[in-house]
Amino acid sequence: MKRLAVILASIILATAPLLSSQAERARLFIKNATIVPVVGERIEGGGILIESGKIKAVGKALQAPADAAVIDAAGMFVYPGFIDSYSHFGLAEISSISSTTDFREMGKENPELRVVWAINPHSVHFGTGRVTGTTSALVAPAGGTFPGISALVKMDGWTVPEMVIKEAATSFINFPMTPRPVGEGLAVQKEAKEDLTSKLVEKIRDYLKEARRYLELKKLAAADQSVKAPEYNAKYEALEPVLDGTLPVIISVEKAKDIELAIKFVQDEKLKAIFRGCAQGFKVADKIKQSGIPVIIDSLYTGPSEPEDGYDAPYRNVVELARAGVLISFSSGDSPAHGKDLPYHAAKAVAFGLSPEEAIKALTINPAKMFGVADRMGSIEVGKDADLLIAAGDPLDLKTEVKQLVINGRAIDMANWWEALYQKFKSRPEK
Amino acid sequence: MKPRIAAIGICAALLVLSLCGGLTAAEKAVLLKNGQVITVSGGPIPGGDILVQGTKIVKVGKGLSAPPGAEVIDLGGRWVMPGIIDSHSHIALEGDVNETGALLTPEVDCKDVINPQDINIFYALTGGVTAVHTMHGSANPIGGKGISLKMRWGKGPEELVFAGAPLTSKWALGENPKRSNMSGMGPSRYPRTRMGVEESIRDEFEKAREYMKKWAEYEKTAKAARDSKGKVPTPLPPKKDYRLEGITDILNGKLWVRCHGYQSEEMLSIMRLCKEYGVKLVCFEHGLESYRITNELVEYGVAVSTFADFWGYKWEAYNTMPQAAALCAKRGVLVALSSDDAERMRHLFNDAAKTVRFGGVTEDAAVRMLTINPAKIMGVDRWVGTIEPGKDADLAVFNRHPLDPFTVCEMTMVDGKVYFDRAKYLEERKKAEEEEKKKEPEKKDGGEV
Repeated sequence: MKRLAVILASIILATAPLLSSQAERARLFIKNATIVPVVGERIEGGGILIESGKIKAVGKALQAPADAAVIDAAGMFVYPGFIDSYSHFGLAEISSISSTTDFREMGKENPELRVVWAINPHSVHFGTGRVTGTTSALVAPAGGTFPGISALVKMDGWTVPEMVIKEAATSFINFPMTPRPVGEGLAVQKEAKEDLTSKLVEKIRDYLKEARRYLELKKLAAADQSVKAPEYNAKYEALEPVLDGTLPVIISVEKAKDIELAIKFVQDEKLKAIFRGCAQGFKVADKIKQSGIPVIIDSLYTGPSEPEDGYDAPYRNVVELARAGVLISFSSGDSPAHGKDLPYHAAKAVAFGLSPEEAIKALTINPAKMFGVADRMGSIEVGKDADLLIAAGDPLDLKTEVKQLVINGRAIDMANWWEALYQKFKSRPEK
Repeated sequence: MKPRIAAIGICAALLVLSLCGGLTAAEKAVLLKNGQVITVSGGPIPGGDILVQGTKIVKVGKGLSAPPGAEVIDLGGRWVMPGIIDSHSHIALEGDVNETGALLTPEVDCKDVINPQDINIFYALTGGVTAVHTMHGSANPIGGKGISLKMRWGKGPEELVFAGAPLTSKWALGENPKRSNMSGMGPSRYPRTRMGVEESIRDEFEKAREYMKKWAEYEKTAKAARDSKGKVPTPLPPKKDYRLEGITDILNGKLWVRCHGYQSEEMLSIMRLCKEYGVKLVCFEHGLESYRITNELVEYGVAVSTFADFWGYKWEAYNTMPQAAALCAKRGVLVALSSDDAERMRHLFNDAAKTVRFGGVTEDAAVRMLTINPAKIMGVDRWVGTIEPGKDADLAVFNRHPLDPFTVCEMTMVDGKVYFDRAKYLEERKKAEEEEKKKEPEKKDGGEV
């Protein structure tokens, strides 16, 4: 412990001059680390050279350049920083106080709304959310059928533009949910015949059809002056990249039956989709795999979708999806206050049979693939962004302390709201 | 979800239950062999055995031999700890447990609305939880009575009751009784401030004192009338007031007070109030700012039943940190980790691991926060909370150390009886799923009407 304290102190000392001199030199070297690159083999006693925010070199025989700030990671583990695949970081401070929340707009159809400028880069939840290793997050809007457009951000920066990886990362559709059958006999049959879910899906299809018609008409008008251009519609405009398959759309869906409906919907509409939730995905895992649609796992602090699914359904679900070969990733879910639980959801799935390697992938390279940034994030490889976590042990272990994060090549200030309170009140004299 | 599948699921669950029920007859001996025994009362016993006779633990040690006819459960090196105790829960109760219509409701009692069919009793078992203190809601400065239950899944409401456990009175301070976050949920009412919350309790105490005086006077004159053999006329009794009767029970120390509160100063004010009126204030519920007043909590001798890291959902839950439980414990406050939530309840052992990480308590101290500490707070530490002879055989078996990140609860025993066995559960589920698969073709052939 004492040694770690010394290391930590040296990191802090090393960090302070590093930040001021970064403009000229911008070099950071991590030495003596056990490196888990996620893509590629684990390296014992390795080094990582970072320059201009990128990983310049990784290997065993590397030496620290004379002008680089050095972090001695002896006895520690370096992983790619974790990516939280769904969060409201910076959009909600205290969930019950509406003046501090900005993720849920009025109305049902808001595909044009962008969260990016609503993000508060100095929300305490960025500081507390990253203590377990998260360096990037998808910041999502919520509510209605078309909640808006998410941003993919780094968990550090003085301003939003400094944090942004993708201003427009994904669109969203909240799929209608088939209610649990109620009553017995005739009552259930009646409900089944009515099939409210399909009706609601038809409504979404109609909306997309209208958007397509609008975009088509606009194109025609541009080419032919005799055609009257439609009146500008921000909502339909925003759906253009969704409909042409360039902007991924996250579709929240829970029940097995609805997942099947959603797969058909995605295929018919030719969307580039990512599912979120899929609580009953384990019942149709092969069908999801066949569709090629990846799945964002929601918080695992949740019970089964239906009691008949079994008490362990949320964890079993992750295991079965991974076993079927579905590309999965983890997310901290609706509360940014609980962002730090991201690796714990992964650990819970490991407890019930997911391999630790798969779990780490689902926190790093898998979400990078889903969000189209695997060329710059998600693994420790030369040329990628230097987003790293340095941990005293297995980062999936709830007892492990993450000692330092590197974001965009900078050993960031690990100070946070909790630590500030702890230091203050630890110093109150005991009677 | 077809109703038939649902029915099969339920049948499977019942079958598991009945099988588990068959494992141990009431007075049969059970020997749990070769476990890593986390006794809590003393050090851990690697390769240890626990002998259970009927509902009680009779021997704990190494190399115990099975009495004739005893059932032997080989733990195969798995970890066994005292059953986890959740000292703040709202499970196994019928419907809503908030009385928002009236300000003070000490007359209502959770005992009257125990729901033994709540699936959360089963979920509790799957997380190693064997006992809970289930409580009235937090809309009232003084709410209803709470009750301790054992997770005897499948038993009737009376059989769930933890016999001998003191009855409790649920109090609440701050935003919930103020109804701060409940706009649109009915008309607003007094109090809207912390000032009003404290005063509403004090007012009622004074009323109850008057009420107690009236009854004392009545008893006195009634006795005099009886003694006078008809010379003094028999007085009329005062009107019964069940609300004030409830307050009287609090003032007489019959009920253990469990006070929901977040902010440090509201806790201090209530401690002073309780001292003034001689109320048995046992524990602050949640107490997310209790780390600020550890000196005062220790001096008063009041415990804290708190979360490992649940925070930020309202203003009064913002000024805290996951180090809070550890800081309190290190400074001598009796701390229990509790859930207040049917889902978080089955993650309590993970919560204990978080408390080791944040604030750095020992693993032993963290396990105590799940076992003997809540047992003390609930007044049931004579019976549960440790693994030692004479205590109830309430045990939770894990495939790894309970604070290991990848641990799974595999078996839970209450009163020497196995109520949850993951291996059996999986076996039954597999069978049920295979049955269902076999039936599927029939359905396609027009089996559905």
